[in-house]
Formats: sequence, structure tokens, C-alpha cells
Amino acid sequence: MSEFTREGGIYSLDLTIDEAHILINLVEQLLELLGEGDFHHHYDESDPFAQLMSQLKAAPEEIVMPEDPVLLRLLPNAYADPEAAADFRRFTEPTLRGNKQRTLRAVREALAQIVDETVSGGVVEDIDAELWLRAMNDLRLALSVRLEINETSFDHFESLPDTDPKKPIYAVYFWLGWLQENLLGLLSQVT
Amino acid sequence: MSFSDTLTHSDLDISQLIDKPWITIVWDDPVNLMSYVTYVFIKLFGFSQEKAHELMMQVHNNGRAVVSSGTREEMERDVQRLHDHGLWATLSRDDQA
Repeated sequence: MSEFTREGGIYSLDLTIDEAHILINLVEQLLELLGEGDFHHHYDESDPFAQLMSQLKAAPEEIVMPEDPVLLRLLPNAYADPEAAADFRRFTEPTLRGNKQRTLRAVREALAQIVDETVSGGVVEDIDAELWLRAMNDLRLALSVRLEINETSFDHFESLPDTDPKKPIYAVYFWLGWLQENLLGLLSQVT
Repeated sequence: MSFSDTLTHSDLDISQLIDKPWITIVWDDPVNLMSYVTYVFIKLFGFSQEKAHELMMQVHNNGRAVVSSGTREEMERDVQRLHDHGLWATLSRDDQA
């Protein structure tokens, strides 16, 4: 199984082509979900036109609590009080959403090199470990909402027959957790 | 890093100083890895490994833990940084927690 490695302070991740495809598909699906109603993920952010467009998007009063439970988990309420939560969201959600999009786009870019340019996989070089941790965490959060993950989910996963269509999705969820733990282990050796 | 940032931030006013402090609460969820939560506490709040681990265990065992306190603006910043990292956090007035 693929894992992160660190050499001379540089992190890399050796991926099979199948693993790279799984990851990039998840990343792009989450980008699509986060990008609803704006242009963030269609343009390079440094493009002045894209910057202009992003400033023109949703006026604060149009930003409301997301209906999709995945979005609500990634962009949660900051206050228990609905009114305070709504006020806070109007002014902070675009930043939070933009940070998550930026993180996922960086991962997508790194993975695209492998997916588009190799047939058997390859090594993602010079990984920003902290950025990848956040991205993997957001992917896990998103999957966990769809899979309704709880404390007994691993046992449930193991008891599922191989023919169950959800089994591979659970497998990816637990694989991402393993990868995240792997990277955290490497980071903790530094500090 | 965060503490010096917030201490030198000068947008305090008298009403905030006499207000009861606000707190940031991190809530338990079955997804975030224990090692990741500990890592985020160290990174964002500059806690020692021991302190971060203790707070993470509080979240895990009690369902929640108070990770910082201060003015409302400071707590809003902390909550935003925690949301950036995918932790489930809210802020509230200390007396309403």
C-alpha cells in the first residue's frame, strides 16, 4: 500500500494509477460541491478577471446555511444561536470556502500530473504536508457524512459482503484515515 | 504564534474588556483522528504535546472541551482557524456554555 515518505525534510507520496484516480476524483467532486454558485474552481486564482468575478459573487445577504449536510459539516455554524450563526456566516463563509477550495486545488494539481502523464502511477514530489493533511481531512469529513460514519463503522465495513456497492467507498474512507495517520506520524517525528 | 497575534491586536474596546470572556468550544465527532486533533491544537494554539493531548481526550470523553477564551473577536478568529482545519468548533459567552 502507498504511503508518505520523508527524506531530507521533503515529503512525497508514491501512488498507483488507481489510487491517484480515486483521490483526484474525490477532490474534484468536493471542489464541485464547494464551488456551487461561484467561479472559484474554473479559473486560476491569480487571474485578475477571476479575482474580479469572485468579488462580484454572492452578496453577503445571499449567503445562508447550506442545505447539503456535507457542506454544513465543512462550513459549520460558529454559534449555537441561529441568528448569530447566520450573521457570522455571511461575512466569513466565503473565506472559509475559498481556503478549502485552494487547498483542494493544490492537491488536484499535484495529482493531475500523475493521472494525466503516467500510465502506472508515480510519486507526488515535494508535498506540502500541512496542506495535504487538511485536504485529506476534508475528504474524510465529506465521505463520513455520506456514509453516516460512527464509532461502529469499521466493524460494519468488515461485515459487508464484497458485493455491497458501498464497500469500496468505506474502503477509501478508511484508507484516507490510514494515509492521514501515516503523514501525521512523519510530521510528529520532526517536532 | 497565535497568542502574540491576538495579544498585539489592538481592536479591543472598554465594553469588551468588562464583558465576560467568550470561549471557543471544540465538539467531538467520530471522524477527526485523535492524533490529528492533537496536532491541530498544538499548531493553532501553541500548546505543549501534553496539554494538547489532555484537551483532545476531554473532547473525546466529554464530547467537548474549551480550548481558548478571550474577546468575542479573538474567539471568532479561533473558530475560523479550527473550521479551516475541519474541527467542529463554536464560540459562546462563558456564562452560557
